[in-house]
Order: sequence, then C-alpha cells, then structure tokens
Amino acid sequence: MASKKGAYENTASDTDFRKKYDRAEYAQKAKDREAKEKEESKLRYEAKLAGKKYYAPLTGEETLTQARASRLDVSQNVGKVMLMPAGAATGKKGRGAGFYCEACDLTFKDNLQWVEHENSMQHLRAIGQTGEVKKASAEDVRERIERIWERMQEEKKDDVKTLGERLEIRKEEEEKDREERRRKRKELVERQRAEKEKEVKIKKEYGEDVRVEGEHDEDDMMASMGITGFGSSKK
Amino acid sequence: MATHRADEKRFLDERGSSGPLAPNGLNPATIMEKPVRERIVDCYFWKDQCFAVNEADIVNRVVDHVHFIGGTYGDAQRPSPFLCLAFKLLQLGPGDDVLREYLEFGGEKFKYLRALALFYVRLTRQAKDVYLFLEPFLKDYRKLKRRGRTGTSLTFMDEFVDDLLVKERVCGTTLWKMPKREILEDLDVLEPRISPLGDIEDLLESDVEEADGRNGREDSEDDDRRRASPGSEFGEVTPERDAMDVDEGEKEVANGNDHDSS
Repeated sequence: MASKKGAYENTASDTDFRKKYDRAEYAQKAKDREAKEKEESKLRYEAKLAGKKYYAPLTGEETLTQARASRLDVSQNVGKVMLMPAGAATGKKGRGAGFYCEACDLTFKDNLQWVEHENSMQHLRAIGQTGEVKKASAEDVRERIERIWERMQEEKKDDVKTLGERLEIRKEEEEKDREERRRKRKELVERQRAEKEKEVKIKKEYGEDVRVEGEHDEDDMMASMGITGFGSSKK
Repeated sequence: MATHRADEKRFLDERGSSGPLAPNGLNPATIMEKPVRERIVDCYFWKDQCFAVNEADIVNRVVDHVHFIGGTYGDAQRPSPFLCLAFKLLQLGPGDDVLREYLEFGGEKFKYLRALALFYVRLTRQAKDVYLFLEPFLKDYRKLKRRGRTGTSLTFMDEFVDDLLVKERVCGTTLWKMPKREILEDLDVLEPRISPLGDIEDLLESDVEEADGRNGREDSEDDDRRRASPGSEFGEVTPERDAMDVDEGEKEVANGNDHDSS
C-alpha cells in the first residue's frame, strides 16, 4: 500500500464505526463494583460465621407486605409460544420454561415452588418489602366488612334474571336520573339568581363619587333631559 | 405502627417461648395438633391465600373461600380453608374488639365468619369468656355445611356452638377442657343462664306434645326459626341435663397436647 488513503480519499480505518469507550470512567465503575462486592461478601461471611442467613441491609424505603389481592395466576402463559434460550431447561437462573420471577430473575418449574419463592424473604427484599404486615384495628375490620357487603349487594343487583326484576331496577335508575336532573336544574337557577343579586348589590354600592369617566354619561344626559328610564329594570 | 410477620416461620419457630400466650394460658402455636399443623403449613391454600393476611384480610378470605366448616377432609386429609384461617387467627391473635366485629357485625352478614370467630374464641379465651361469647349465638339457626373425612353433612350454627361447648373434638382440633358451666356458676363467676326455650325443669317434665306446642310458639316469634323435630329439640337440651351432674371436671384443666415437646 503506497498511501493510507482508501478508495474514497479518506483516512477512515475499517474499525472507526466502533464506539469509543471512556476507559477511565469504566475503570472507576469496575473499582466501585468490586469494592461493593467485597463488602457484601465480607458481610455474607460474617453472617455465615454467626450462623445466620445474609440479607441485603434495608434501605429504609421498603414498603409493608400486603396480602395478595387474588390467587396466584398459574395459567397466564397457557397457550403461549415463547422462544427459550438453549439450556433453559436446567437450573432456576434466568428466564426459562416455567414460572418466571422478574425481580429475582429465577424460573420455577411448578406452582408450589413458585408460591414458596413469592413468599420468601429473598423475593420480598428484591421487590422492596419488609415482610411485615400492618395490624388491622377493629375499625378497619368493620370498614372492610361493610365494603365487602356493599360489593356483594352490587353484584347481586347485576345478575337479575326475570323481566319484572329488570323493570324494577330500570325504574329505580330512572328515578335516580330524574332526581339528579332536578337537582342540577335547581342548582342552575340558584346560581343565576345569586349572580343577579350580586350584580344588583354592586350597582347599589356604586356611589355618585366613584363614577368612571364616561360610563354613566348616557344616564346623566337622560336625567338632564328629564327622562329617568324606559320603565325597564334592565340596564 | 404495630405489625405482624407475613409468614408463619417465626410463629412456629419460637413455640411460644417469647411470643404472647393466648388469654387462657395456652401457647397458640401448639393449640392445634402437630400433624394438623404440618398439613396446614404444607397446603397450597395456606401458602397462597394465608400469606401476609391481617385481621381485615381474613374477612375477604372467609367470604371468598370458606364454604364449609370442618377439619381435614377427603382421603388425603386436606386441611379445610376454615381450619387454615383458624390457624392464621391463632398467629394473628386478634383482640376482643376485633372478635366482636367478626361475631356480631360481620357475623350477621357472613355466617362462616361467625363460625370461624366462635371456633377461635373457644380455642383461646378463658372459660368464662367462652361461655359469654358463645351462648348468645345459640339463637342463630342458620345452616352450615360440614365436611368431614367421609362426606358432607348439614348442620346449624346453634349445633356448632353446642358442639364447641360440650364436645372434646371439633374440626380436627382437640378443644381444651373447660370447667362445666355449673361449676362456674357455683363459684359466682357466671350468672345462671336463662334459656330462650324456658325453664329446664318444665321442659323435662313436659311430654312431646307440649314440646311441639312450644315449638309452634317459637316459630311465630322468630321468623327464621328452623322447624326442629321433637327429638332434636330434646337433643338440644340434653347437654344441659348432662351438665347437671357435677362430679367430674372439678377444676380447669388445660389440655396437654404437647406432641412436639421433643
């Protein structure tokens, strides 16, 4: 090669498209990570010596654990086709065939293992929970009972069978609608009246001496001509 | 803020060494027998639905999942949701105010919630409180479904309460031995109970026709009073007659179900 210039008359080498890394930054990052890992492994070792299980220290931002709102959904992936990495069939680590836990990056082959994992401290810490549940007072219990009862009454209302029941419910709803409309109309009238009263009040409060220049010229002229108005209250 | 542990590990680990005891002096972790306890902790319902449940969530669980009372059922002796939730209550240890909500306000609406609370009261409260808590519900005649090892049968709330007061084993749990009502009355701990059926002597003297007549009157008084055959009417009062002989059970003996003392 006589010159370094290529066919297109530029000096680009064939690896120029690659990303340029800031080596110092990455070295620092690696150092930090290693220090953290060392610290953690030390804590792990100490916990092991003391015969305890190691948990990452709490950050103070954990939330209380709450009861599941519904049963664990074991059938959510039924009928789905997924691409699995080779070797996904062995071990729990990583995404594989089975129940996958996003937070812990683990896969479980049956629902018993899965629910045990969901209840485990390891998982609770990974999703930032303390594993403690708030104690409910008698008022909480009463309120919960009321809420469930209301929900059940609503559901009962929804599944009516006969025409008579349906007509009954429709009638109730219409009555409610009418009531609502009546209330709205009343409110509107009330508001309009209030506005009008306010206007009148402002007008009354206007003294002779606070006239804005030119605002009442017309009235004055009429008054001076002996006309006080056309008998209309409107202005 | 007061909290519970979400899981049962610490509750079962400590075996009452540091946790609070039940008001009747028993250790809540050993009130149920060890085989039953292990079945409960192993079953899927416990892991799925009894995790991180507090006193208010218990109501949700009862409404959604408890459709029968019973201990273990089927050939596999699966623990019933009723029993699992009773065990959860043993762990939570709700106070009297919460129990009153379960029994009265919630119990009017959800009968299995009342049954569960009654069962829990019988397991953990002192004899006097048990009588005072349970007896008002001898007037609750709602139907309950009972599922045992062999099959399903029909029972009623008052029968269930009566079982709790007089039987030794209910719902796969050996109940602690309570002193008889007469003894507590003699000690002036309890007032004599006035049965809604009337005086016990009159009832024993009267023959079947009279008992029938009384039934009729009760029906008119109480709308949802279930029609009882004369036999069951007597069955209802038999325990009281049994309770008359006071030669046994002189003092309060807590049952020693310390199977896991090893």
